[in-house]
Amino acid sequence: MRRVDGWRDTLTVMAFLAPALILIGLFLVWPALWALYQSFTNKALTGLTAMNPSFVGIDNYTRLLADGDFFASLLRTVAFVFFSAIVGQTLFAFLIAYLMANRPGWKLRAVPVFAVIFVLPLAVPETVAALTWASMVNGTESGFINRIIGVFGAGPIQWLQDYAMETVTIVNIWRGLSFAMVLFIAALEGVPRDVLEAAMVDGASAWQQLRWVTIPILRPQILTFLMLTTITTFGIFGLVYFLTRGGPGNATEIVGIYIYNQAFQFFEIGYGSAAGVLLLAILLGLGTYYVRLMRDQV
Amino acid sequence: MSVDVTAEQKDASGGRLRDTKGSSRRHSPGKIGAYLLLSALALFALIPFSWLLLAAFDSDASISVKVPKAWTLGNFTNLFANEDGVRLMVNSLIYAGGATIILVVVTTLAGYALSRYDFPGRRALMLGILLTRAIPPTATIAPLYVIATDLGFLNTYHGVVLILAAIEAPLALWTMKGFFDAVPREIEEAAWVDGANRLQAAFRVVLPLAGPGVGAGALIAFIGAWNEFLIPLVLISDQDKIPISIGLFRAWVSYTQVDWGFLAALSIVYVIPAVVFYIFATARTTGFTRGGTCRDLTRPGSATTSGKTRRPAMRQTLLFERVSRWSVSSGFDNLLECGSARTVVSLTLDVPHQRSSP
Repeated sequence: MRRVDGWRDTLTVMAFLAPALILIGLFLVWPALWALYQSFTNKALTGLTAMNPSFVGIDNYTRLLADGDFFASLLRTVAFVFFSAIVGQTLFAFLIAYLMANRPGWKLRAVPVFAVIFVLPLAVPETVAALTWASMVNGTESGFINRIIGVFGAGPIQWLQDYAMETVTIVNIWRGLSFAMVLFIAALEGVPRDVLEAAMVDGASAWQQLRWVTIPILRPQILTFLMLTTITTFGIFGLVYFLTRGGPGNATEIVGIYIYNQAFQFFEIGYGSAAGVLLLAILLGLGTYYVRLMRDQV
Repeated sequence: MSVDVTAEQKDASGGRLRDTKGSSRRHSPGKIGAYLLLSALALFALIPFSWLLLAAFDSDASISVKVPKAWTLGNFTNLFANEDGVRLMVNSLIYAGGATIILVVVTTLAGYALSRYDFPGRRALMLGILLTRAIPPTATIAPLYVIATDLGFLNTYHGVVLILAAIEAPLALWTMKGFFDAVPREIEEAAWVDGANRLQAAFRVVLPLAGPGVGAGALIAFIGAWNEFLIPLVLISDQDKIPISIGLFRAWVSYTQVDWGFLAALSIVYVIPAVVFYIFATARTTGFTRGGTCRDLTRPGSATTSGKTRRPAMRQTLLFERVSRWSVSSGFDNLLECGSARTVVSLTLDVPHQRSSP
């Protein structure tokens, strides 16, 4: 590392950094600030207020807080994140990974082969993932899942009508679960053997080893993964929108879809921005914690 | 150097031998249960793709999963003979390719500066860039649309390309910085001693060495832009300029008159780049996590990090030849094993970060 010294160095560094920073500034940071500004106006997508929006103070926010639909969509998103990201992709994936990972006296040779299969759900674009699941949960009698439950005598179920949110949550677990497992297996196998062996010699039970040795050692990895998957899941749009477009009614209208609908279906840019600002506040809170976790790596 | 390597390899293989002995009871009930659970999960992961694979080769495809009565390649020939199909693919290539080219240029420059120069606020800048990862386009889509409109970006290739590049930029920037960090500084310093100025050294010496890393970063960015759905959904309404993701969506929404075989074939073509990349990367992550490809680069007090060895230039050249040969021949070893580059993978593939071993 060389300290910047003199005007030539300063100029070089600035010239090197400028293009990337302009790009990030213009299309990531500026829209976030602009969202904050717009959320205090009544800007619309079309019509008179599109050209001349006027300040409405905190009207959008008071309206949001009074809007049952927004609250419902926020709660739905929190449940979606809790069940798919936290329970499904982190907790459940970690438990299975713990059962699978190599440890003293336990080695599954085929895990790398399975890993290649497990990565597929996350590898495909969200639009394709949604399309294949649309086929799986097709509500007619010839739908794949309906045919399976038909074997047990259960009637065809309109999955995307009657159990829309549950279906979408399971699709998202499907997308992230197996890959999270692969990652946790890799992390678990990175736990130093001698530490585990020492714990075994001292007579620690399997649970005690997990609770007092493995989890404390892997705490940074688990937290980092948890943060990332939580942030990503809060921002999900395409997967759910493709499957249900927020419906039926607004049964699967997670925050991302709510914002999109306000701005582009009802043309209320200002109001949609205010909803976006609230989502950003949540995400930046989580993001700050994530950055703190990563701080020692700069 | 060579002595070190053999010692390490012996050590590694010794460890592996011990592993095998440790698992002498190969067919214990526990293992059979574990494999059953793994197989069930593998089925869960794979079954949804059955529709894709069957319908794409079915001359009479529907939304339901069924084995084709008449197998055909017609859906694929349709896709490539059909003007709309080809246009979708070309558009996706333009968006993802354009975004990748821009990203590689801007993040290589910035990554080099962040890796090699120290200036006030550098750390804060890096962390700030990381924080922008927490801003999803979902939250800022409304103002992004207004800004894009003001800039005349609606229904333009360059508008979407620039915005996609910006979305991928924070991650790519960290990636590039990580790869530049992994290029030993001493190599660059040797070039300065030989009379190269700073820029010459950067372009002729450092950049070629970081090449595989830059390639990996570019690939990651390409996949991200290739898969994007929301940005083109909002910014592109012109039927001639939509990418595959939006093409799939529009075909799917026109539910009653869908050509399912065409849709499945298009999906398969759409999936190929991402799947090839991920399978490749995963095979590396899981197969080589305990290998020692370039652990010596990261080990504190080792030849490169301390920089106090007898014949630094020769050592490092050897070491680096080894690292870069590996990374060229097997792609992601470098990416997975080299110090801060490991962070990069943790970020990219959401791999939990592993601290370099003591």
